[in-house]
Amino acid sequence: MRQWLGLVVAALVLSAIAFSLGSYQTDVYRKLLLWVTLALSYNFLFGIAGQVAFSHFTFYGIGAYAIVILLFQVGLPLPLAVLAGIALCVVLALVVAIPSTRLEGFYLALATLAFAQLFIVVLNEGGAVTGAAGGLANYRLPDVFGVRVSGPWYTVVIVLLLLSTWAILWRLDRSYFGRACRAVRDDPEAARAMGVNVAFTKIIAYTVTSALAGVAGMVYAFVDNTVNPPIFGLENAFLLLFMVIVGGSGRHAGAVVGAVLLYLMPLVLSPLIGHHHALVFGVFMVAVVLFQPKGLIGLWDGLLKRRKQA
Amino acid sequence: MTIPLLLARGLGKRFGGLQAVADVDLDVHAGEILGVIGPNGAGKSTTFSMIAGALPPTNGTLVFGGESLLGLPTHAFAVRGIMRTFQHNKPFASMSVRDNVMVGMHTRLSGALWRVLLGVRGALHTELDAAQRADALIEFVGLGDWRDADVATLSFGQGRLLEIARGLAAEPRLMLFDEPAAGLTPAECDRLSNIIRQIAQRGIAVLLIEHDMRFLMALADQVVVLNFGRKIAQGTPADIQRDAAVVSAYLGDVGVLGQHAVGACGHA
Repeated sequence: MRQWLGLVVAALVLSAIAFSLGSYQTDVYRKLLLWVTLALSYNFLFGIAGQVAFSHFTFYGIGAYAIVILLFQVGLPLPLAVLAGIALCVVLALVVAIPSTRLEGFYLALATLAFAQLFIVVLNEGGAVTGAAGGLANYRLPDVFGVRVSGPWYTVVIVLLLLSTWAILWRLDRSYFGRACRAVRDDPEAARAMGVNVAFTKIIAYTVTSALAGVAGMVYAFVDNTVNPPIFGLENAFLLLFMVIVGGSGRHAGAVVGAVLLYLMPLVLSPLIGHHHALVFGVFMVAVVLFQPKGLIGLWDGLLKRRKQA
Repeated sequence: MTIPLLLARGLGKRFGGLQAVADVDLDVHAGEILGVIGPNGAGKSTTFSMIAGALPPTNGTLVFGGESLLGLPTHAFAVRGIMRTFQHNKPFASMSVRDNVMVGMHTRLSGALWRVLLGVRGALHTELDAAQRADALIEFVGLGDWRDADVATLSFGQGRLLEIARGLAAEPRLMLFDEPAAGLTPAECDRLSNIIRQIAQRGIAVLLIEHDMRFLMALADQVVVLNFGRKIAQGTPADIQRDAAVVSAYLGDVGVLGQHAVGACGHA
């Protein structure tokens, strides 16, 4: 009950902000919300399930491209296109996950990295279907039940996306499934002895989080109303990883903090110091990994503990 | 004689050219403590791993509650009621004591994931229920003050107790202990004996492999002696101590055996 109340309040507050913003701010705000959404699901995959996968941002791209292609080239109606897009993400996630469950750590990272690169190649070579290097543009969101959703109302859609992603992951985390994911990450042999089907748990964690990324991608497709290969390159895949690590991997709040901080950092710094913001970013990353491996949320935990003891 | 809960016949394991275990017969009954002893390399651990489902046997049959266990994956053993502890504690290091125990309930909780996602009332209830049952088990092994603690803060002995609570969480019918006394202080050892006895009194079948002879002799109802991968003797602890062949051929120190009556873990 309290959880529902919290969600409703968060929805109202985050939506209210959407109605008070100018057009540049709206763009920043929408992308911030999308980064937080992605960081939350990637945190489940990387932080909680312990899978070092670089394919998360790729599924964001698959979702974005899929919805545009399904709507405007295949000509499906919106609800069907969304379902088909999710189905596509699930199938592709299974195709990647099932052979990958045999892989761990470094090898999983390599396999998913290869998948991410393959996606970019497919986008560039996709001809008219993917729009090749130029991507797809000049489309707009079809009316939803006869209503045109745009401006702040589309931002509300993103808010709902973020909160439902959060609610799904929160529920999963606080269930036998979330514990099984952590158990598999901590000690697969002991997890097996507890009756956890290790391969199945890994596959489900990968598939669910990848599908969530895909849905976020579908929503993103109508933020810029263009999708093109550079957006979904490795740079952003690594940024996502950094967000989760800086915030504190394995923690939902950490993912939020990391995403907000790393997304806003260049926006705030580049007017002040230009391109040197990349340097600040690099030094900051190294400092966090060296001195605060539990992330900023770990710093916060430490403060709370100290206050409790005092 | 009741029908044994676990019935192993002609159990064997070959690693390439090495026959680690051959022709081992074992019966474990509900509520009974069966101890398996033997020197290093006798095949204790291999036998244990086969019964725990961690290693597939190359020969023989393994029947639990009337059902063959052969060919089942490791994770399928827990759901049938076979739980184990690890000699070198294997806690889930990032979780609290309570969450560790709740992982042990995995096979008793797994409902459909959509129920979890929709937050169906029953699912939430199950979760609260599970936390309460976990707390009761944590209390039972004596870790009540540590239920919210990080497992990293536990001592080795407490870690062993956690292993037991986590195993019991699955409501096992057979509990397997892999050298449970190894690395424990005498006081912890006594506590462990007590706990294992209580587990058997609940009607759970107990199988333990152990190095510490006195600990095992004071605890077991039946003892099986392995040497070079084969069973060389079986009987009550008293029988085993009288078995001249066992004593001279392989247990060696008769004096040590004679003193077992002083109590578990080598102290009075």
